[in-house]
Amino acid sequence: MDIGIIYLLIAFMLLILSAVKSPEKTKQALKAAGKISLTVFPVLFLIFILMGVTSVFVSKEMIASWLGRSSGGLGIIIGELVGSFALIQPAAVFPYAGILHEKGADYGSLFGFVMTAILIGITTLPLEIKLFGKKFTIVRNILTFILIFIMALIFKFVL
Amino acid sequence: MLKQTIKAALIYILATILIWSIISFISPTKGMLVGEVAYGAFLKALAIIIAVFIIIGLIQVWVGPQTLAKILGKESGWKGLLFSSTVPIFIGGSLFTIFPLLKTLREKRASIACLLAFVTAWAGKAPLLPLEIRFLGWKFAVLRIGLIIPLAIVMGLLGEFILEKWQNK
Repeated sequence: MDIGIIYLLIAFMLLILSAVKSPEKTKQALKAAGKISLTVFPVLFLIFILMGVTSVFVSKEMIASWLGRSSGGLGIIIGELVGSFALIQPAAVFPYAGILHEKGADYGSLFGFVMTAILIGITTLPLEIKLFGKKFTIVRNILTFILIFIMALIFKFVL
Repeated sequence: MLKQTIKAALIYILATILIWSIISFISPTKGMLVGEVAYGAFLKALAIIIAVFIIIGLIQVWVGPQTLAKILGKESGWKGLLFSSTVPIFIGGSLFTIFPLLKTLREKRASIACLLAFVTAWAGKAPLLPLEIRFLGWKFAVLRIGLIIPLAIVMGLLGEFILEKWQNK
């Protein structure tokens, strides 16, 4: 059986459990899930097409030389920079990273890409500065970038 | 809010159709190949994504970010930091939803270290784990989530240290 179906069964079991305990809360949960779907699915469609574009138009040699094992620390930094500028929903990050991996990107660079895509956002900078101030924003983003780089090195060694 | 979401959704869908149309127009064979990869990825992700969204919805309602904020506001010192470095791993959302939550935490007097640890740990993204395993393999997923906790703690402590030095200048 496909693993996705198993997850779906688990989700439905939890849903039934929740409905037994509180139909009202379950309705709210479904509403929340619907709202998330409306936000994320369109982004996913775009990402799926971009995965196709990457797969068809970008050569394995190119990805391997930029993000592959031989790219070393520079590959991690490229992955991190792309992640920082990419405007993608966390849910879309993993499928896209998957196609890069198929094309020869190594796990260290992919860790850099995935983590910065989630944690550093050029588009969220104004909001972050507004809520927490310039100093907080500068320290958080730069330190995050550096620490992810160090962790990515661990990924390169271990995987 | 809903209107904005629908507008954004339409823009993404239009962009998707536009990109694919242009490619298919220039080269129908390449367009077919792109479509095949996209459809494959869609099939690979669909069931998992629906399951994940249902579970995130349930977490939101039964646990709720606000409940977490309340607990974290009360905990201080090491307990607070430990809490901030682990619990957010299980919350969904993007930076746009996590920053306002972080602001609430700040107003409830959570320390800077806690805030930094919180947002970093949130990148653990446990609700998306099935998706991550499917596309990147379980080794990557397990190592990434395992490294999140030390990363969040170091981020919190080091970040707070640097910010304090900078503020006192």
